[in-house]
Amino acid sequence: MTPPQTVTPTLHILNKAPGHPRFEACLQSLSEADLLVLTESGVLALADHSVALPGACRAVKADLQARALGDQTRAQAIDYADLVRLTTDYSRIISW
Amino acid sequence: MSTLIVIDQPPYGSWAGREALDMVFSLAAFDQPAALLFTGAGVNWLRQQQAPDAIGQKSVEKNLSAAPVFGVEEIFADQASCQRFDLGPDNLVSGVTLAANLQAVLNAHRHVTFAG
Amino acid sequence: MTPTPLSYTLVITGAPWSSQAPQSALAFARELVTAGHRVDRVFLYGEGVLLASALASPPSDEVHWPRQWAGFLTEHSVPATVCIASALRRGIIDDTEQARYELPASNLLAPFEVAGLGDWVEGNLKSDRIIYFHGSN
Repeated sequence: MTPPQTVTPTLHILNKAPGHPRFEACLQSLSEADLLVLTESGVLALADHSVALPGACRAVKADLQARALGDQTRAQAIDYADLVRLTTDYSRIISW
Repeated sequence: MSTLIVIDQPPYGSWAGREALDMVFSLAAFDQPAALLFTGAGVNWLRQQQAPDAIGQKSVEKNLSAAPVFGVEEIFADQASCQRFDLGPDNLVSGVTLAANLQAVLNAHRHVTFAG
Repeated sequence: MTPTPLSYTLVITGAPWSSQAPQSALAFARELVTAGHRVDRVFLYGEGVLLASALASPPSDEVHWPRQWAGFLTEHSVPATVCIASALRRGIIDDTEQARYELPASNLLAPFEVAGLGDWVEGNLKSDRIIYFHGSN
């Protein structure tokens, strides 16, 4: 029997729109301690009610505003400075 | 610290898979631990007997079979994707490890990287 | 509380105007520097090499992504590599390659330099963080 893996908490940066195969692949790969950051086309997930978002989810403000989603409340909006800070907090980062 | 290069885009229609292969071979050339994962439509890179001369491209079959010699640790293919695209022992290139648990493969590597 | 400065390699694989990659990466890079972190290198790969074209000519009322990046790299003395294999294929050529292949022109935008994947491998190995900015198609 394989021993349980200790997974390093991971920051996932996802810029693909829901519907892109990598979008689903990313969501399926999330572990308990991970954080998902939606950027670029990825922020459209917040407008897509067929998408079940993890509790730990952020979205880049500039990308939300560009797409007229600045008022959304499904995820905490962050700016690029926040994103920098998140990349310092997580030693393992996957850019999808 | 091991790097897993993931190829999820199909062959020939885009260059992403080739660029991913260049990355993994570079890591191996510099003696860095590296492995490849083919998943989604990317598993179609692994079908035997591809003949891309007709579309003006080169086959990667030889590169893939040479991978272990050049130091690439392992070549994984997502089992579910292989099933979806009708790839099995009869038509998969040799040297591929079928991964039933994709998550485990991802978690086993420090760096998980796409070429594009 | 000032965080410990970290070193970053930024990889851009999405082209300007075909993707948001250069914009997202630049916005991120600017905040990195503001926060006191170090950008070890910017590495252009795949379609991202088009960011280093000196011949890009967007309309005057649009952001000129190659020039914006060139400005940032110069201002902060950040090494920037264009991967030679990706660049040659896509016609991003420096003077050396122009001479080598007897091409009619060169078009590499300073301060980008052409080099191999070894620069990426080094970043992967030595930088505290390596962040990729891909296209989203």
